[in-house]
Amino acid sequence: MFRMVAKARWGGLAASLLMAAPAAAQETTDTAEIRRLQEQVEAITRELEELRLGREVVVQADTSISGLGPAASKVYKTPQGVSIGGYGEFLYENFAGSREDDAPSGLTDRIDAVRAIIYVGYKFSDKVLFNSETEFEHGSTEDGGSVSVEFAYLDYRIRPEFGLRGGLVLAPMGFLNEIHEPPTFLGTVRPETERLIIPSTWREVGVGMFGERKSFAYRAYLINGFDATGFSADEGLREGRQDGAEAAAQNFGGVGRVDYIGIPGVTLGTSAYFGNSGQGASLPSAPETTVGAQTFIWDGHAEYKARGFELRGLLALSTLDDAAEVNELNGLTGAESVGERMLGWYLQGGYDVLRGRSGPQQLLPYVRYEQINTQDEVPDGFTADPANNRRIVTAGAAWRPMPNISLKADYQIVSNEAETGVNQLNVNLGYLF
Amino acid sequence: MSIWATCSSLVAGAALLLGSAPPLRAQLSLEEALQAAFPPPAEVERRTAFLSSAALDSARADAGSDAPVDQSVVSYYVATRGGAPVGVAYFDSHRVRTLNEVLMIVVGPDDKVRRIEVLRFAEPPEYHPRDGWLAQFEGHTLAPDLSLKGSIRAMTGATLTSNAVTRSVRRVLALHRRIHPFAPAASTGP
Repeated sequence: MFRMVAKARWGGLAASLLMAAPAAAQETTDTAEIRRLQEQVEAITRELEELRLGREVVVQADTSISGLGPAASKVYKTPQGVSIGGYGEFLYENFAGSREDDAPSGLTDRIDAVRAIIYVGYKFSDKVLFNSETEFEHGSTEDGGSVSVEFAYLDYRIRPEFGLRGGLVLAPMGFLNEIHEPPTFLGTVRPETERLIIPSTWREVGVGMFGERKSFAYRAYLINGFDATGFSADEGLREGRQDGAEAAAQNFGGVGRVDYIGIPGVTLGTSAYFGNSGQGASLPSAPETTVGAQTFIWDGHAEYKARGFELRGLLALSTLDDAAEVNELNGLTGAESVGERMLGWYLQGGYDVLRGRSGPQQLLPYVRYEQINTQDEVPDGFTADPANNRRIVTAGAAWRPMPNISLKADYQIVSNEAETGVNQLNVNLGYLF
Repeated sequence: MSIWATCSSLVAGAALLLGSAPPLRAQLSLEEALQAAFPPPAEVERRTAFLSSAALDSARADAGSDAPVDQSVVSYYVATRGGAPVGVAYFDSHRVRTLNEVLMIVVGPDDKVRRIEVLRFAEPPEYHPRDGWLAQFEGHTLAPDLSLKGSIRAMTGATLTSNAVTRSVRRVLALHRRIHPFAPAASTGP
C-alpha cells in the first residue's frame, strides 16, 4: 500500500519559534501548543511548495492513497498559454583583397544584423499546439532586409509515436534546416552544402506526421514542390524555394527523415526529398510540353557531441531530371546550366579546451573541410563552370560564455577549379533564448 | 510522385504506428510521480528542512555558480519499505527558456540519482527531455563530472533543456548533501 505521511524537520526554525513564544513553550511544556505550531509550519511549507511547483502539481499531497487514488486518476490540465523564444546573429565579413589567381577580389567588407528571430507558440491543450518563427533579416526592410514567417504550424500530438502537423513547415533535412540557432553549431556561416543543396532555411506549406519510437525519431511531410525557374548554376536549388509566399502548387513533393537518437550525444540519420519542380511551366520552344523537373535530394548525417567534442559530418546530393528543359525555361546557356547532379559534403570538429574547468564557459577551436559542386553533372550540350566546384577550409574558435551566447571567429580559405576563390575572415555574435 | 500516392503512404504509415503504440503520457502530479517512483508497499513521508545560512552557502558552493540555490526551506519525500530507506524525492521547478519545468529527482540511500521524472513542461514539446536522455543521470553523484562539460551529453536540438535539467540535478544533489534526509526526523511531527 502506498501511504504518505507528513513530518517537518524542525532544526533551527522550531527552536526560533519556541523562543518567540517562550511563555507557552517553557512554562507549560504544552505539547498541544507545540503541535499547533508544527501544524502552522507544515501549512506554510505546503503553501511554499505549491507556490514553487504550481498548484496543478501539488494536488492534495498529504492525502494517503492506495493504488490509484482519486488524485492519481484526476485529469490534470496542462497550463495553457503562450511560449516565447528567439535567437539572432550579427556577422562581420572581411574579404581578402585578391582572389586565388591574384586578381582583385572587388569585394567590400560588410557587417550585418543577419537575423533577429522571435518564436511564439501557443498550447491549446496537451495535444494541440501552435508554433511559429518570425524572422527579421538584415536589419531593415528599407535597406534590403526582409521580414518572413519562417515556420508556422499546428500540431496534433496523438501519441509519442505519431502526431500530425500542418502549416508552413521546415523541410526536415540535414542538420541546419531545422536547428540553426548560432550558439548550437560551429562556424560563423552555414556550410555551403546546407545552403545550396539543402537550401536552408527551406520551408514550404504542407502536412505530415512526426514522432518518436524507441531510439528513432522521424518526420515526413507532403509539401509544395520547388519552382525550377529559380534554379541556377551557382546557387543550386536555393532560389527554387517558395517560402509559402503564394507558392505555385502544381507540383508537390514528399520529404522525410529518420534519426537514430538512442545514445545521448549521438545522432545518425538520413533524409530525402522527392518531387517535381516544373510547377506547370511549358517550354518556350514547345508550348505543349510541360516541364517535369523531377528533383531528388538525399542526405546522410552523423554527429557526436560529448566529452568536450563536437564532431559533425554530412553528405548531400541532388539530381534534377529535365535539366536541359529547365535551362531553356530559365534562358541559361553554356556554363550557366543548372546542375543535373549536385554533390556536397563536409566534416567538422571542435573541442572544448575549457572542459576541465568549472563553470559554463566553453572555448572550442574548430576546423571544417567542405567540398561542394553545384554542377557535378550538367546535361549534354552544356558545360560546367569550374568556379562552382568549390573547396572551403574553415578554421576558427567559438567562445560560449554561457550556452545561450556565442562569439565565433574563423578564417575561410576558399578555392575552386577556376581559381577565383576569395578568402575571408568572419566574426559572428549569436544568442538564443 | 502524385499527391495521392504520397498521402496513401502517410496514412499507411500512420495506421501501422497507431496499431501498437501506447497513448500519450499525461503530465504527472506530485502524488503520481511519487507513486511511480515508490510503488507499494513503500511508505512516503513528507519532511521539510530549514537550512541555515552556512548550510545554504555550502550548498551553493557544491552546486556551482551556474546552478543557483536560493531556497532555504526544502520539502522532500523520504520513502521507506519495511522501515528501511529506499530513496528520497525532491521536486525542483526552474526556467527552461521562458517557461518553467518541474522535475522530480529521486536520490537513493547511496546518494546516487535513481530516477528523474518530468511533471510539468510548458515549452514546445520538441524540447521536452526524452526518457532515454534522462536515464544518463542515473547513478551520478554530485561530482564535477556531472555537467555538460563532463559526462552528461546534451540532447540534440535542445540545448536549453539540457542545461536546465543538468543544473537542476546539481542543485538538488547539493541540497541533498546538506539535508541528510535518511537521518531520523529531529523532532516528532504531527
